[in-house]
Amino acid sequence: MLAAVTALLVAMPWGLGLITGELIAPGNDAASAAISSGTWLFVFALLLMLVDLRQRLEMSASLSVVFWSAPLVSLAIALAQGWLDRLALVREYRNRQASFFDALIDHIVLVGLAVSASLIIAVALALWMRRAPHIRQGTLGVLSFIQTIPSLALFGLLLAPLAWLAASYPLLGELGIQGIGRTPALLALVGYSLLPMTRNTYIALESVDDSVIESARGMGMKPGQIFFQVRLPLALPLLIEGVRITSVQAIGLAAVAALVGAGGLGTFIFQGLGQAAMNLVMLGALPIVIMAMLLDVLLKALSGALSRGDTDDRA
Amino acid sequence: MIELDGVSKYFGDEAAVDGISLTIPDGSLCVLVGTSGCGKSTTLRMINRLIEHNAGEIRIDGHQIRSFNEEALRRRIGYAIQNTGLFPHWTVSRNIGVVPRLLKWDRVAIERRVEMLMELLDLDIDEFADKYPHQLSGGQAQRVGVARALAADPEILLMDEPFGALDPITRSSLQAELLRIQSRIRKTIVFVTHDMDEALRLADYIVVMRAGRIIQQGTPADILENPVDEFVETLVGGRDRGLKRAALTRVGDMMDPAGADACVAAPVVTSDDSMRLAVSLMLWHGVSELAVVDKSGQRVGTLPLSRLVNEAE
Repeated sequence: MLAAVTALLVAMPWGLGLITGELIAPGNDAASAAISSGTWLFVFALLLMLVDLRQRLEMSASLSVVFWSAPLVSLAIALAQGWLDRLALVREYRNRQASFFDALIDHIVLVGLAVSASLIIAVALALWMRRAPHIRQGTLGVLSFIQTIPSLALFGLLLAPLAWLAASYPLLGELGIQGIGRTPALLALVGYSLLPMTRNTYIALESVDDSVIESARGMGMKPGQIFFQVRLPLALPLLIEGVRITSVQAIGLAAVAALVGAGGLGTFIFQGLGQAAMNLVMLGALPIVIMAMLLDVLLKALSGALSRGDTDDRA
Repeated sequence: MIELDGVSKYFGDEAAVDGISLTIPDGSLCVLVGTSGCGKSTTLRMINRLIEHNAGEIRIDGHQIRSFNEEALRRRIGYAIQNTGLFPHWTVSRNIGVVPRLLKWDRVAIERRVEMLMELLDLDIDEFADKYPHQLSGGQAQRVGVARALAADPEILLMDEPFGALDPITRSSLQAELLRIQSRIRKTIVFVTHDMDEALRLADYIVVMRAGRIIQQGTPADILENPVDEFVETLVGGRDRGLKRAALTRVGDMMDPAGADACVAAPVVTSDDSMRLAVSLMLWHGVSELAVVDKSGQRVGTLPLSRLVNEAE
């Protein structure tokens, strides 16, 4: 079953190339074929089956990386050999190659910045919550509240105060802080990321067995040694789970950021929607989905490897 | 030498430990025994300052423990606890070497020490050195725990119900192991348990605690012979005491050396076995006389039932 699904996914790009070759008369260089919604559904169903099979077979994370990458590698080879050049999606991509990479990098930078900023804030918040347990409820409450604001509304809400800031303090404006663009997008993404990140970080640090901490104290470790040599390494797998959930969420959310002029792959999606050009929408959406899935699998594998206990840092 | 002098610990208004005084001489194995919540564990943890005492003085070799740096004190004192508290992300050898590492021993010295301890605790180096704690059985993990406590060669070893979570057979073999190791290394050991049998078997000196106070202290034989009140009497097993005392007595001390060549067909005990085992053998085989041999199997005497009844008077 697993082999069949993987084989179908691997064969997909080649099949598509073959069919477009058949459909389009030779010599008609301008013609292209769009992938129908049925085909997308089929691919989607296959991917879903792969996810489901992976869970049912309780496949190890590193093994599932192999199964996930096989279709991607196949796709990459097909693309590189020009096998899929007749596809409208690929056409669209070739036309916008330069802006595609700009958008891709914008997207990655935006997500990267948001995730790292929220990780730093989350660690600080989690440490603070451990020190002062009474602030825990309140902090998580505020973070949950931020999460309930619809993303578009949050971008909108940030617009006015940031524009005002930039207007009142020109220095900030020169630094790139404006009502539209990267700044509100980044702030909103950090806002959304904080809840899962903080909650996971806190739970990760709390989940470490008390008897282990107790014996670390009994061995004569100093508080700093206990934190860095025992608590943090033991919390790491759960902490990375938090990073995973947050990153996957942020990759998707960053698409919406295109609306406030932050760039990124969302630009294609909204352009495509405006022009009713599904291929353009796909050009934005597909890389987002692929990035999210890849990151998901990779971080899962990392977290799994760490929790197996081979984090020995003997140098 | 560890001295506790009028030591108390209050949690809020409640006294967990209430003015106890106790002297534990060098090289002795002192067992604190009592029901849960009697303050025995708190007492133990005050010695390495995991819990700070509120009143009284605790001295090690005459120096108040408060005069030492907290972490430095703990690195000088071995500590083993019930669920081992092994670091799950480190291998067995790294776990054992943790205190020497904290003390910044050089690598070769740590390695040598770890190997020596694994040998002492009967842990095969090739098999276990690179395993992680979750790959060990309960008994193996506890051996590692004890090895870790001994790693920096501390003068004092604190053990908080270290064998409490083990099955009876593993527990018994680890108790024997501890006695064997103690006869070689002669540490000052403070051992906490709620199991009076364990206390009687291991202790040079037993301290019975109840509600934060010491109600009796003495040698195992002392406690068995003269329990101060009903509580201690119940702890030592009430009318079962005869067998417990028999468990503390060696066959060699009770036998009749004169009968060395009589009654060849009798079941055999060795002179190092306990009288409890001897009684059990008599009951099982339905005989009133056992042949006693030494370690090499050489006949050294006879143990007739009458000897043991007369002695018990």
